[in-house]
Amino acid sequence: MSFFRGKKKQVILYSILIFICLASLIFVYHNASFYDRSIAKVTEIELIEKEDLTDFRGNDDQQFVQRIIAVLQNGEEKGSEMELLNEYSYSGAYDYEYKVGHELFVALDQSVNKKNRLTGEIKDIKRDKYLAIVMIAFAVTLIIVGKRQGLYSVISLGVNAALLSFALDVYIKYSNISLVLICGVTAILFTTISLFLTNGINEKTYAAIIATLIGTLVSLFVTYMVIWGTDGRGLHYEEMQFLSRPYEMIFMASLFVGSLGAVMDIAITMSASIFEIYEKNRDVSIAALRKSGMEIGKDVMGTMTSILFFVYVSGSLPMLLVYLKNAAPLGFTLSINLSLELARALAGGIGIVLTIPIGLYTAIFFISRKKART
Amino acid sequence: MNTLVVLAAILFALMVLVGGRKGAKSFISLFINFGIIILMVFFMMDPNASPVILTLIASMLIVCINLFYVNEVNDKTKMAFVSTIATLILLFVFIYLITSGAMIQGFGEEEIDELAPFSLLIGIDFVKISVSIVIISTVGAMTDVSIAISSPMNELIQYNPLMKRRDLFASGMRIGRDILGTDTNTLFFAFIGGYLALMLWFKDLSYSFGDIVNSKVFVGEVVTILCASIGIALVIPITSWINAVYLTRKRTKEELKES
Repeated sequence: MSFFRGKKKQVILYSILIFICLASLIFVYHNASFYDRSIAKVTEIELIEKEDLTDFRGNDDQQFVQRIIAVLQNGEEKGSEMELLNEYSYSGAYDYEYKVGHELFVALDQSVNKKNRLTGEIKDIKRDKYLAIVMIAFAVTLIIVGKRQGLYSVISLGVNAALLSFALDVYIKYSNISLVLICGVTAILFTTISLFLTNGINEKTYAAIIATLIGTLVSLFVTYMVIWGTDGRGLHYEEMQFLSRPYEMIFMASLFVGSLGAVMDIAITMSASIFEIYEKNRDVSIAALRKSGMEIGKDVMGTMTSILFFVYVSGSLPMLLVYLKNAAPLGFTLSINLSLELARALAGGIGIVLTIPIGLYTAIFFISRKKART
Repeated sequence: MNTLVVLAAILFALMVLVGGRKGAKSFISLFINFGIIILMVFFMMDPNASPVILTLIASMLIVCINLFYVNEVNDKTKMAFVSTIATLILLFVFIYLITSGAMIQGFGEEEIDELAPFSLLIGIDFVKISVSIVIISTVGAMTDVSIAISSPMNELIQYNPLMKRRDLFASGMRIGRDILGTDTNTLFFAFIGGYLALMLWFKDLSYSFGDIVNSKVFVGEVVTILCASIGIALVIPITSWINAVYLTRKRTKEELKES
């Protein structure tokens, strides 16, 4: 009976999920009226000019001009056709080749052209549709592969994203509070929420939470001391993007948040496996636990550091290419574009490795307390 | 002293202290991976070379280093290699469709000012570079998951030689599920850390919700995190299936030989 009910519950849950996915897809495909900016959908394209050109560095590229007929999707002129001109290059680093079906944000001119069509200027591309498709694909794959755990991971990512947005709002409102302090408080919330959601409320999770917090603090302290001691030599803060605030503070906060996930990952792996060994054999000695814990740590250490490394380095590819193609020297290009990314990866790596013994001893502490009680 | 050198030295010392020989190997593999990426960038500068093929070659090399150098060449790592590459190719199609549709290649309006002194007409298709970014950012994590599944599956069949293919597959999936949550978490926070400044920028310049969900940089970032996570999720059934098929086939072959 309970099997049947479990099945039924599952069917209901899956139906709700499918409904949410479909509803949000339909919404993003028809949400033009919710925007204040004018949106036009491309219906016809004509290539009117094509030109080979070579830039002042000798790079060959091609430039194109296309005439676009698009239909307005919102506003007073909804349904009427308009004509737009678009210039784009083969590289497309900051321009776009539009195709039929693309939706664009446009600014309308007050005049009409000879063919009595509205004219205007392309401002940006409507991308929310693709954002929704990727989000749905992500949620669906995680839930199909991960079942319950997958669902909880999706939920915990959503909650964490909302929490981060809220924390930044608080920071902007009360700018006199230090960003690092806000990130610290948020980090505690992040850690407890994600670990409780994915691993349940039990001693194993308590040990992991404590290990995560100690691990991040210690590694942050080490990194801070190094930056302070070396005077930040070799770190090119001037290439930090999107700066609207003092850069050193943002950088420290980003180190903090960036390594948090990896440290959390190591902490839960350590404590889960130590507890597992203990549950299977309650008479196991502390020394044996320590030994197996270190073995497990060795296995995860390398892969975790390389995850962080790839994530940080990969984002710099377009910049590296632009610099090198503009004949910037290699050493200069690398140090300008990668110094902060490498610092993040290295600091995260230090956090990961430090958390192995920290996670191990926290779990052992919890187990020996348990042993003393019984 | 240069900050990066000191940080690298501390990391090396810690890795050797905690991980011994394997720790040293992991550290060296980071350097080799870095070298592979820089080489890839060099080859991408040639306008005749296809960035997509270069990315695939680079990821294969990276997977080889992470599996065969850090671990060793055996059935477990070979199966992990096949599974990772198969997943990469599958993921490739999806990523390509999304990145070319959403047009998130190159640079956003928030970044363009600092690029003013540079020529952007450099004859390289930036859509393909975007695909490359997503692939490179997830390849490390995918290899990690793949070896973490294929290694215990190989152990399992040694302890229970009579296990059915279905049960083997199911246990691979179970192992994978445990890793899935933590690894997507790692990726998520790593990206958030990298883009904290961007989030503050959006808030400081009071972008509306509509502005943010259509902005190139934001959409590009979210697409990268989510596609990377989809890669991690997909590698789980693929590795479990490839291993289950391979291990049961191998067993049948051995039985035939004995009889």
